[in-house]
Amino acid sequence: MPCERKPMRYDHSEGHTEVCFDDSGKFIVTCGNDGDVRIWESLDDDDPKFITVGEKAYSLALKKGKLVTASSNNTVQIHTFPDGDPDGILTRFTTHATHVAFNSSGSRVAAGSSDFMVKVVEVSDSSQQKTLRGHEAPVLSVTFDPKDDFLASASCDGSVVVWNIEEQTQVISWPLLQKTNDFSNAKSLCRLAWQPGTAKFLAVPVETKVHLYERGSWDHVSTLSDDLLTQPINVVAWSPCGKFLAAGSVGGSLNVWDVNSKLCVERYKHEKGFTVCSLAWHPSGSQIAYTDTEGCLASIVQSFSDISYHSFKFFNVILLIFDSRRFHVAQAPEKKPAEDYDALFDDDDDDRLMDEGLSDTNSPVKKPVAGDDDDDDDFLMPDKFGDDDDDTGSAVMPAAAPLVPLRPVYEGPLPSAPQKAFQPGSTPAHLTHRFMMWNSVGIVRGYNDEQDNAIDVEFHDTAVHHAMHLTNSLGHTMADLSQEAVLLACPSTDELASKLQCLHFSSWDTNKEWMVDLPKGEDARALCLGQGWVAVATSTLTLRLFSIGGLQREIFSLPGPVVCMVGHGEQLLIIYHRATGFDGEQALGVQLLQFGRRKRQLINGEPFPLSLKSYLSWLGFTAEGTPCYVDSEGVVRMLNRSLGNTWTPVCNTRETCKSKSDHYWVVGVHENPQQLRCIPCKGSRYPPTLPRPAVAILPFKLPLCQTTTEKGQMEEQLWRSVLFHNHYSFLSSSGYEIDEEGQSRSQKEQQELLMKMFALSCKLEREFRCVELAELMTQNVVTLAIRYASRSRRMALAQRLSEIALEKANQVQEEEPEEPEEEPEYSRRTSGPERRTCFSGRMVKVMVEYLQMLGAGKPSASSGQPRVTNILDNMTSSKKSAPLRSAGKPNKDPVLKPLAPRTKTKVSSTQKYSKHTNKWLPKTGFQLWLEENRKTIIADHPDLEETDVIKEAMGRFRTLSAEDRLQGTNLGNVLFFRHTWSKRHG
Amino acid sequence: MDPSEVEFLAEKEMVKIIPNFSLDKVYLIGGDLGPFNPGLPVDVPVWLALNLKQRQKCRIVPPAWMDVEKLEEMRDLERKEDMFTPVPSPYYMELTKLLLNYASDNIPKADEIRTLVKDIWDTRVAKLRLSADSFISQMEAHAKLDNLTLMEINTIRAFLLDSLNCMYKLRSNMQPGSSKGQLTDY
Repeated sequence: MPCERKPMRYDHSEGHTEVCFDDSGKFIVTCGNDGDVRIWESLDDDDPKFITVGEKAYSLALKKGKLVTASSNNTVQIHTFPDGDPDGILTRFTTHATHVAFNSSGSRVAAGSSDFMVKVVEVSDSSQQKTLRGHEAPVLSVTFDPKDDFLASASCDGSVVVWNIEEQTQVISWPLLQKTNDFSNAKSLCRLAWQPGTAKFLAVPVETKVHLYERGSWDHVSTLSDDLLTQPINVVAWSPCGKFLAAGSVGGSLNVWDVNSKLCVERYKHEKGFTVCSLAWHPSGSQIAYTDTEGCLASIVQSFSDISYHSFKFFNVILLIFDSRRFHVAQAPEKKPAEDYDALFDDDDDDRLMDEGLSDTNSPVKKPVAGDDDDDDDFLMPDKFGDDDDDTGSAVMPAAAPLVPLRPVYEGPLPSAPQKAFQPGSTPAHLTHRFMMWNSVGIVRGYNDEQDNAIDVEFHDTAVHHAMHLTNSLGHTMADLSQEAVLLACPSTDELASKLQCLHFSSWDTNKEWMVDLPKGEDARALCLGQGWVAVATSTLTLRLFSIGGLQREIFSLPGPVVCMVGHGEQLLIIYHRATGFDGEQALGVQLLQFGRRKRQLINGEPFPLSLKSYLSWLGFTAEGTPCYVDSEGVVRMLNRSLGNTWTPVCNTRETCKSKSDHYWVVGVHENPQQLRCIPCKGSRYPPTLPRPAVAILPFKLPLCQTTTEKGQMEEQLWRSVLFHNHYSFLSSSGYEIDEEGQSRSQKEQQELLMKMFALSCKLEREFRCVELAELMTQNVVTLAIRYASRSRRMALAQRLSEIALEKANQVQEEEPEEPEEEPEYSRRTSGPERRTCFSGRMVKVMVEYLQMLGAGKPSASSGQPRVTNILDNMTSSKKSAPLRSAGKPNKDPVLKPLAPRTKTKVSSTQKYSKHTNKWLPKTGFQLWLEENRKTIIADHPDLEETDVIKEAMGRFRTLSAEDRLQGTNLGNVLFFRHTWSKRHG
Repeated sequence: MDPSEVEFLAEKEMVKIIPNFSLDKVYLIGGDLGPFNPGLPVDVPVWLALNLKQRQKCRIVPPAWMDVEKLEEMRDLERKEDMFTPVPSPYYMELTKLLLNYASDNIPKADEIRTLVKDIWDTRVAKLRLSADSFISQMEAHAKLDNLTLMEINTIRAFLLDSLNCMYKLRSNMQPGSSKGQLTDY
C-alpha cells in the first residue's frame, strides 16, 4: 500500500491529546493536557498559534469557525477560529466534560461528561439544551448521527447507547465494553464514529475489533478485525467519503479498513508504540492525523485516496489478491479446524509435547482455507467492478452479502494434524534442558542455553560405561542409547547436511566414534539402536540400516512418514503414518522386523490401534523383547504374540493419577517381574531435568470386567499371567536363554489360579464353567480338580473331568518322548565357566540355593556368581570394586538386555548331552512308585534282595487302583524334573 | 549412652537409593534387601546406603521430610509452640548429619536444610534446657518427654542425672541434723 509516513513531532505535554482538521483542511488543530489548543499550518510548522482554553483541555471539536473545547473548569467553551477569541460558554457540567462533538451541519454540539450526562446544545443558542440521562458511569464519547436524529454515546458502565435526540430517550443500548469506574481508568476511549453521508453504519470499537451497527435496525452487521491487532482499539474515524474506517489502538497500531470488503487495506505501527488517542481524516481523505498519549502529533499521507474513487476499485481488487494471505476475516468456520485441535489436544494446559508436535501442522490445515480465500476473492472480482462508484452507502451491502456464501462451511470430519516424529523417552526439543533419551540403559540429557550446548550421557548401571559429557557443536536433537553405543543425529541446516554420529564405546579398537552425512535433502527423523545395528528413518521415507561399527547395510522404503522407531536385540519396530486421520485420530501403521540369521517381517504394515483421539506417546520393547507402547490417554498396550500379534491393553496409567493434569512418563516395561517403570509428573506430561526425577513402578491391570469381584480378579490375574508368560515361548523360539525358574513359577501360578477359580465355580454350582476351566488346566491339576469335585459330591462333574484328564494324559504321553530332547538345556547349565557369564544373577542365585539345599554346591556356585558376592564382599575396601567392572560386561542382567543367544554354547552343551542322556531316560510310573516306596518295602522285608524287592514292589503296584497309578505317573513327571536337577548338581 | 551409639541405631533407618549396579536379593539377618536394579529406587538401611554412596554405587533419594519448605514449617511451629512438636523422623538429626555429610550432592539445597535442621535442633535443645531448669527449680518429681528424640534425651541425660544426684547430696547435707563439717567433703 503506497503511503507516506510523516515524521512525528511533539505538540503537547504528555497525557490525553486530541486532533482535528479545520473545514478547509488547511490547519491541524490539537489540544492537550497543557490546556492549550494549537493551530498548525502543517506538521513542519515550528511556531504554531495557540489559544489557552484552561488548565487542561480534554476534548475539542471544530466546525464552521467555531472551536469547541472541553476544559478542566467543567465547562464547554467556544472560541472563534482561527482567531482564538473566547465566544462564551456553551454548557457546564458538575465535573469536566470528556468528549465534545459537532453534528454534521455544525449547528449543535454534543458533550459527554464524567457526571454521567450527555448534553446536546444548539451552538447559536446555548439555552437550548437537551440532556440525555441514563448512563451509570462517566461518558467516554459521543457522536452525532449525520442525519441529526440520533446520538450515540459510550460510557464507562460498559454500554453503548443510541439516543433519540428529540425525545431524549434511549433507542437501544448494547453492553459491549468493559466496565470501569472512571474515564481515566477505561481501557479504551471507545470513540464512536458514525458513517458520514448515508449514516448507514455506526462504528464501535470493541476490544480489538470494530463492530458495525446498521442505522435503523441497529443490527450488528459486520465486524472489522485484523489478526495483527492485539491491543484494544481506542478510536475510530471514518474517511470523509465513508468508505474507509481508520482505527487507532492502545498499542499504537493504526489500521484502515475498506468497509465494503472488510479488508484491512493499511496497517501502520506507531514508531514508539504509544497509545493513539485521537484520529482525524483530512477533509480530502488523503491524510490521517493522529496524536498519542505522549503528546506527539503525526500523520500519514495516503496516496490511494489521492487517486480518488475512480481508481479505487482497481486498487481494491489488487489488495484483495495481495492481502488475502495476511488478511483474516472474523468468521467462525475458517477458524474451526485450529480451534478443534486446541480443544482436542489442549485439554490440559501443559500439553507442550503436542503443541510442539502440532506447531507447524496447523498450517497445512489452514492453508487450503487460505487458498480458498484467494479463489473466492478472484471470483468476487467481476462483482466488484460492477459496483456503482457513487453510491457509497449501498455499495457496502452487496459486497458484504456474497462474502458469506462464498466461503463454504465444511462440516464433515476434519483431518487431524499428523503427529510429528519423536524419539520415545525424550522430552520436547524446544526445551533448553531436556531428556534426549531415557531408557533402561541410561539417560541422555541435552542442554542448550546461552552458556552451554552440551549432551550428558549417564548410565543407570555404571558397569556399562562411565558417564560422558559431549559438546553438542553439531546441534544434535535426537539420541538413542544402548549397551553398546550412543547414537546422535542432527537435522540439516542451510550449509550442513543432516548427520548421524555414533559413539561406539563398546568397540574394542581405539576408534570409538563414527559419523555419517545423510544425502542432501534428507533429514533424520527417527533413529534407534539394536544389538549390533543402527537404524535411521529419514524425511524421504527411507530407512537406512548401519552396522554398529559404521558399515552401511540394508536400505528400504517406508510406506509413510515415520513417527518413531525402537530396536531391541534383533527386532526393529517402526510406527509410521498410514494415512491422514480424521477428527483427531491418528492413522498409524506398524512394522515389526526381525534381523539376525533369518531376516523377516513379523508384522507388515498393520493398522496400529490407539485410544480414541489420542496419539502415540511412547514406544518400546519390554526388557524381554515384547513390543509395547503408550498413547496420550495413558493406555499401555503390549503385543500378544500368542493371539496373532494383537495388541492387548495392559495398564491405564491415568487411572492411578491423582489429578487430571498429572501424567506418568513411561521409561520402561518389564514382564518378569511385571513392572511398568515410569516417572510421575505433576501437572505435566513429561518431567523436568531438575530436580532429578525418581522412577516409580506401576502394576499392570488388564481392563477386564468386574474386577471388583473375586471372579473378575482371578480372571484378570490369570490372563495377565498368561499374557506376560508369552515372552518365554518367544525367547526360546528365537534362541535366547530363558529364566526357566520364572517360567515354571508363572505356570504354577496360573494353575493355582485355575484351581481357585474351579473351586469358586464349584461353590457357585456352575459346573459347565468348571469344565471350561478344567480344559485350561494341566493334567495333574485336573486330577486335583477331580478329587475336589468328587469330595464335594459332584459325580457328574467328576465324570466329565476324568474324560478330560484322560485326554490330557494321552496328550502328555504323546509329548513325552520329546522330553529327553530338553535335557541338553538342563545340562548346559553346569557346563564350563564360559557358560556362567551368560547366567542371570537370578538364575545363579537359584542354582546356588538349590545346591546349598542339596548340601553340595559350594565350589561351582561361588565361581558362578561373581556379582552376587562382589558388592557386599568388598564393602570394607572400595578399591576392590574394580574387578566388578570387568565382570560387568554385557549379558549379565537378563532384565535389561537380550539374553545371550544359545548358539554360543552349542558345543559344550552337546558334549554334556552325550555324557548324561543315557542316565536319565524317562521313568515309568512304576519306577517312580518304586523309588518312593522302596523304603517301606525294605522296612517290611529287610531280608529281601534287590530283585526280590522289585518283584514285591510290582506285586504291590498291581494292587493299586488305576487312578492312583495315573497319579503316580503325574507325580512322576514332577519328580522327574526334581530328579534331573539333583542329578545335575549332585 | 554415647552419641555414636545413637547414630548407630539411626543407621538402621530405611532410606531410598537408586543403585547403579544390578544385584539380586541379598539375604541378611536383619531382613532381605533388594533386588537392586540400576536406575530403580530401592529401600535399604542407611548404613548400606552410605557405604554404597561412598563407593559411588548409588544415588540417595532424600527422605520426603528433608525438604526446605517442610522444614521451614516445622521450624516455625517448633518456635511457636511451648511444648515439643512431633519431629519428622525419630532420628532426624542423625539422618540429616549422615546424609548431608556423605550425600550432599544428591540432596537439593543441602546447605539450607542443614541450617534449618540445626535451627530446629537448637530450638528444641533450648526448650529442653529451659524445662530442665524449671524442673529443678520447681522441685518437680516427674517430667513428660513427649516427642523427644533419643539423641535429644541423650544430650541432657548424663548432665541432668549427675547434677540431680549432686543436688540431692547437697540438699541432704543441708538438712538439719547433719553436721556442717561433712559439707566440705564435696
